[in-house]
Amino acid sequence: MIPGRLTKELARICGRDHVIVDRDRLLVYESDALTAYRHRPGAVVLPRTTEEVRRTVQAVVRHGLPIVPRGAGTGLSGGAVALNGAVVIGTARMNRILAIDAPNRRAVLQPGVINAELSAAAAVHGLYYAPDPSSQTACTIGGNVAENSGGPHCLKYGVTSRYVTGLTVVLADGSVVKVGGHGREAPGYDLVGLFVGSEGCFGIATEIEVGLLPVPEGVRTLLGIFDRIEDSGRAVSDIISAGLLPAAMEIIDGPTIRAVEDSVFAAGYPTDAEAALVIEFDGLEAGLDHEAERATRFCFRAGAREVRSARDEEERLALWKGRKKAFGAMGRIAPDLLVQDATVPRTTLPAILKGISEIGNRYNLIVANVFHAGDGNLHPNILFDRRDLDELERVEHASKEIMQLCVDAGGTITGEHGVGLDKKHHMPLIYGPDELDTMWGIRRVFDPGAVMNPGKVLPEETEPSPANPRREPAPGELVGAPAPA
Amino acid sequence: MNKEALTPESTAETREIVLAAREAGSRLLPAGRRTWPRAGGWTRDGGTPVSTSQLDTVHHYEPADLTLTAGAGIGLDRLARIVGPNRQWLPFDAPGSSAGTLGAAVASGTSGPLRTRYGATRDNVLGLEVVTGDGRTLRIGGRVVKNVAGYDLVRLFTGSRGSLGIITRVSVRLFPIPEADETLLFSGGPAEAVSMARTVCTSEVPVAAAELVEGEEVGADRAMVLAVRLLGGPREVEESRRRICAALGTDPWRALHDGESRRFHAARIGWEEGASVVARLAALPDRIDAALAAARACATRANGAQGSAAITADALQGLVRVRASLPDSDSTRLAETLATARRETEALGGSLTLSHAPPEVAARVGWTGSGPETAALTDRIKALFDPDSVLAPRCP
Repeated sequence: MIPGRLTKELARICGRDHVIVDRDRLLVYESDALTAYRHRPGAVVLPRTTEEVRRTVQAVVRHGLPIVPRGAGTGLSGGAVALNGAVVIGTARMNRILAIDAPNRRAVLQPGVINAELSAAAAVHGLYYAPDPSSQTACTIGGNVAENSGGPHCLKYGVTSRYVTGLTVVLADGSVVKVGGHGREAPGYDLVGLFVGSEGCFGIATEIEVGLLPVPEGVRTLLGIFDRIEDSGRAVSDIISAGLLPAAMEIIDGPTIRAVEDSVFAAGYPTDAEAALVIEFDGLEAGLDHEAERATRFCFRAGAREVRSARDEEERLALWKGRKKAFGAMGRIAPDLLVQDATVPRTTLPAILKGISEIGNRYNLIVANVFHAGDGNLHPNILFDRRDLDELERVEHASKEIMQLCVDAGGTITGEHGVGLDKKHHMPLIYGPDELDTMWGIRRVFDPGAVMNPGKVLPEETEPSPANPRREPAPGELVGAPAPA
Repeated sequence: MNKEALTPESTAETREIVLAAREAGSRLLPAGRRTWPRAGGWTRDGGTPVSTSQLDTVHHYEPADLTLTAGAGIGLDRLARIVGPNRQWLPFDAPGSSAGTLGAAVASGTSGPLRTRYGATRDNVLGLEVVTGDGRTLRIGGRVVKNVAGYDLVRLFTGSRGSLGIITRVSVRLFPIPEADETLLFSGGPAEAVSMARTVCTSEVPVAAAELVEGEEVGADRAMVLAVRLLGGPREVEESRRRICAALGTDPWRALHDGESRRFHAARIGWEEGASVVARLAALPDRIDAALAAARACATRANGAQGSAAITADALQGLVRVRASLPDSDSTRLAETLATARRETEALGGSLTLSHAPPEVAARVGWTGSGPETAALTDRIKALFDPDSVLAPRCP
């Protein structure tokens, strides 16, 4: 609960209907899509304009409370969870597309615009917004900016940060700062790039300028069925090595195939297969058949049992169905699902998948893999029941071992879901004290009082103390995390 | 700038140099092979250059991963020779020199015309090792193509122009060399060329780059040439050519294929070389005609007797560049013209930045336009990495 005086003040700024303090209504805001972390916010405020956000931030900060920015709450790292009675600033009402500038292929929008709605609005101009997280029909662009979200088609098109060209940001001190924008040659530090992926710790983006792309004229979708998952991994490597650049390459493993086929989402994948590989090419119609034929040959050469191809949009959606509905299907065979996220160099995929399977066996857990194979972004999903405390503990151990396995292979602890609350204690796996120290410093550049989304991204125990604000390297000491190579 | 450079042979040695300079209260000027344009004037004279040219080891290259990690001092030319046999490339085509180093390309952070197809320089830098101005060795990012672990310091360092740290090691994303590389040259008068560029930029054909070049630079008898680069599979490129010609209602004046096309663009990377003034005018692509007019006024004024000033534009990005050699022109009048061009470009919502200029012109015009409202933030960022200003001054 927040003080009554603050409630009144927020109601004056945003309207009484847009300040939620009722315990039952706050329930919805207890967690994001990673439901393992639940904390009830002190209040939820739903401003509509940059000015309302600015005044809300000032009021909350004056009362000494922390702030958590929140989009649609579809995040998978606990990033939007309100710790210590923080006030959530939700962007649900900031859902206007302010401009679609077709000749310059850009759009300006408020953060609460839903990802898929931007593409729908741009479609009349023959344009679309490229980053396509799996939750794109629900997640907001503001949330995508906070997490630097990816998606299946990022293999060819790149992640959110490539498309964000300008931001209007409200900082913790109530100032409104414009970074980047317009002619994309802004001199100076890349503050837009730094802000994207800052997980709500630097401020709240209240206006976002993004680049749009022309809708590809044609699409070819293939589904390769494999008896061995290593073979599907080899097909991916061979396709990339041959210089083909598919828009997406996704692998669904045996346990996931069976989960899907046992569910209402059955997509017609053979249940005795150990991997299904979805490959998609897009671009001008001319040449797509040739690329699809080449990819098909690589699949067969790597040992595919069968390669299906879609002849129309309906068939295309059918081929994708097993991939898109994987999480939903898994949710039906176990009460809880831990969606993991890590990236490894593509060539290490076969070894990593084997290692993950061994870890699963050792802890007697079902691990089902669905992943963006083209860019080595894994999603090992652990199925469990949180009421079983022993199992819960095994999940935690297995999860940490999987992270370590990926890091040891030259990978990282998150490819697209963010660190949030869930992975902050894994940060020392990839960064040394100096890197973490620097990240604390950068956070303070934007938010000296640690008001914005505190308790996320960086582990508290690495926070430099006021008495020893910066760790001084000893002369001759070469510090840092394990070499990137 | 001709001062003898320090050339550390390891990251540890780079760090010793920084710590010693910090201790002594002296200044350093991070550099690669010192072939890159001075880029923004945020570097300054007076410091001792520290060249990373000896840090040129390839630490990791797995062709099937399409990633490479190397010392910052590796030349872009050598890098191309290493990855080329696997039909791979690093599509960095920022203005400069192919003899420039990977570290300098990242530090300068500018991008060339291939940005539309492959992303900006910063989109393809995966990880960095840097020695900060206060002598810390940081390893940020990684060598995988998707990575959102922690705040994106890699992007902060890309384009930081030696003001936060000395880049000692770089991991980048590589791309397959497209099977077909074709450049179509369409010539026309100034207005005609802009109109053609607009048609190409808003067409459904995925062109890799579209540049406007002065006709005489490429031997055309018309004032301007639009160079449209097509990259992809042979069928895709052929179809793209057919549609571009149909949309423009004309065949190209010349078409360059594969090796010819690559050489044409490689030569254009050095377009700014030797110029004493280079200005970049950024505007939205549909206002490129106004930016071109402003740039043309600068070129005409700079031309003086010698006639060596020229303009070029990246039509897809809305970026116009002016290049001039000054000896015969009147620098006061040129400064006035540049200041006018800046006012005009800013009125369009764009910006004018000098990437190269003699001190007297820079002093009159200013390297960048009206101070951004982010000055307080950038001051704090600079102080976080280089509290004693050992390195280059902060970016504006």
